Amino acid sequence: MNSIRECFYLSSGYGAGICIILIMLIILAQIVGRMLGFIVPSAEDFSGYCLAAATFLGLAYTFRTGGHIRVTLLIHRLPEKAARVAEALVLLLALGLTSFMSFYSIHLIWESYVFNDVSYGYIPIPLWIPQIPLGVGCVALNIAVLDDFIGMLRGRDPSYLAHEDELKLEES
Amino acid sequence: MEITALSIILALFMLIVLAAGLWVSLSLLAVAIFGLYLSGNDQIGLLFATSSWGASTAWSLTALPMFIWMGEILFRTRLSEDLFKGLSPWLSKLPGKLLHVNILSCGIFAAVSGSSAATAATIGRMTLPELKAQGYSERMAVGTLAGSGTLGLLIPPSIILIVYGVAAEVSIARLFIAGALPGLMLVILFMGYTAVWASFNRDELPRGDERSISLTEKIVALRKLLPIVGLILFVLGSIYGGFTTPTEAAALGVFGALVLALLTGTLSIESFKQSLLGAVRSSCMIGLILVAAHFLTLAMGFLGIPRELAQWIGGLSLNTFELLLYLTVLFVILGCFLDGISVVVLTVAVVLPLIQQANIDLIWFGIYIVLVVELSQITPPVGFNLFVIQALTGKDILYVARAALPFFMLILAAILLISWFPQIVTYLPQTMTRG
Repeated sequence: MNSIRECFYLSSGYGAGICIILIMLIILAQIVGRMLGFIVPSAEDFSGYCLAAATFLGLAYTFRTGGHIRVTLLIHRLPEKAARVAEALVLLLALGLTSFMSFYSIHLIWESYVFNDVSYGYIPIPLWIPQIPLGVGCVALNIAVLDDFIGMLRGRDPSYLAHEDELKLEES
Repeated sequence: MEITALSIILALFMLIVLAAGLWVSLSLLAVAIFGLYLSGNDQIGLLFATSSWGASTAWSLTALPMFIWMGEILFRTRLSEDLFKGLSPWLSKLPGKLLHVNILSCGIFAAVSGSSAATAATIGRMTLPELKAQGYSERMAVGTLAGSGTLGLLIPPSIILIVYGVAAEVSIARLFIAGALPGLMLVILFMGYTAVWASFNRDELPRGDERSISLTEKIVALRKLLPIVGLILFVLGSIYGGFTTPTEAAALGVFGALVLALLTGTLSIESFKQSLLGAVRSSCMIGLILVAAHFLTLAMGFLGIPRELAQWIGGLSLNTFELLLYLTVLFVILGCFLDGISVVVLTVAVVLPLIQQANIDLIWFGIYIVLVVELSQITPPVGFNLFVIQALTGKDILYVARAALPFFMLILAAILLISWFPQIVTYLPQTMTRG
């Protein structure tokens, strides 16, 4: 059970990582193309889509590993019982917000599909295709929040807490 | 609802959710939804989806994960060691000796990394134990590191300048180049202060080791710096010369960093994976904040809050100096509780109309805001450089903050200097032909 769970979150991270590698390759191809005199069609569109995919696909992994920042000044100073209640309320609110994100990102994909929206670039791409990672990423984050919320109700500590005190490198 | 009441309710709501410990990105989202709901908008979800799609596919933002990844790769190489060995023979004659290595290494590493916490961690890991072993004043070692670590924000490439550039719709290439001279000025201020301090506090420095180092030895040491200096010149030179956009320079930089790691034998499959996952974590965190902030900006625009605020402040007829003074105070207070990127995205939507109204150059304001954020990096209770150094040394955060205090004052002096002489910021970007 645990291994499937970890696998799910790790694939969220690597999925985003692959998109970051793709961004690099597309941009490098564009530079090489300019020197050798060929054009990579719609390179800006494609790297933009990869950026959106990288941002959203990795949300669940980032959440799980405590990467999303928040102000912990108060919550870490509350007595243990109160801190747990506060943490549960914060997770409940987060659950509502991520459900909102999931619902409307899927709605966006659906609308692009129904109205046959295509990109304006050199190669017209049906927009619902690059929008899929947005929906998938939001749903994955939603699941991650739900996972921690249920765990919290059962008396486990949320996953992100373990990493929050660690040294973080790229805050700003 | 009346707009003043609405603004106050929203500001209070934002404070409450942030203080409660809701993630910054989700807090911004919550405030935007709440604001639109109060104003009776019935297309909230649709607005969110389209604005998120637009914000997350922006071409200029692709530079962000690239520069973050580049820093993550270099963090895992022997770069900090090479910097230490390459620089120290040259600095042994200056009063303060190896303390200057801290400052210069941070300055150089900042030119390949976009983050101040990464800069402080990478350099401090190497220099702090060495300085302690040689008997330098620990307080000064910690202070120079905390202060010059913040250079990561200002010296290009800089993550926070990318964020500002996207939010304020200013050329990122010009912002990068604008940060170069103020960055150098800060390095000089830091080194000057350290030299003066060292002349008055000789007893807190190690004595002896007066043997002179031959020129050949120095030149051999300098060779260790070649790869990194090459990478810097390559990345920044191509932006300044207009050969590449910042995004392209970033992709080349990642490629260069990978080659450099491969040549020095520090690239393994494991370190590659770790650097990639590290980049994912940071760029997803920042990415979601930007997506939410974009939506919040949209919501604010619908409500008309920035316009009203600009009119109200305009009615107070503050002069530029007073306006900047109040803004500085506001940013420093916000920066006590939030990280730099959150401060920038939170305020830019509301503050930019004020800045434009006061005829302040947006590029100059970008550099100014970064300097103010640098201050907040080394002020308790929330200052990420303080956290990093606390983790490195095990010293308590207030000790680190006290050690960093002189450098806090020096950054403040730098803010005054660029206010009196805005040319320090605007000269280089004006000489750029493209970008």
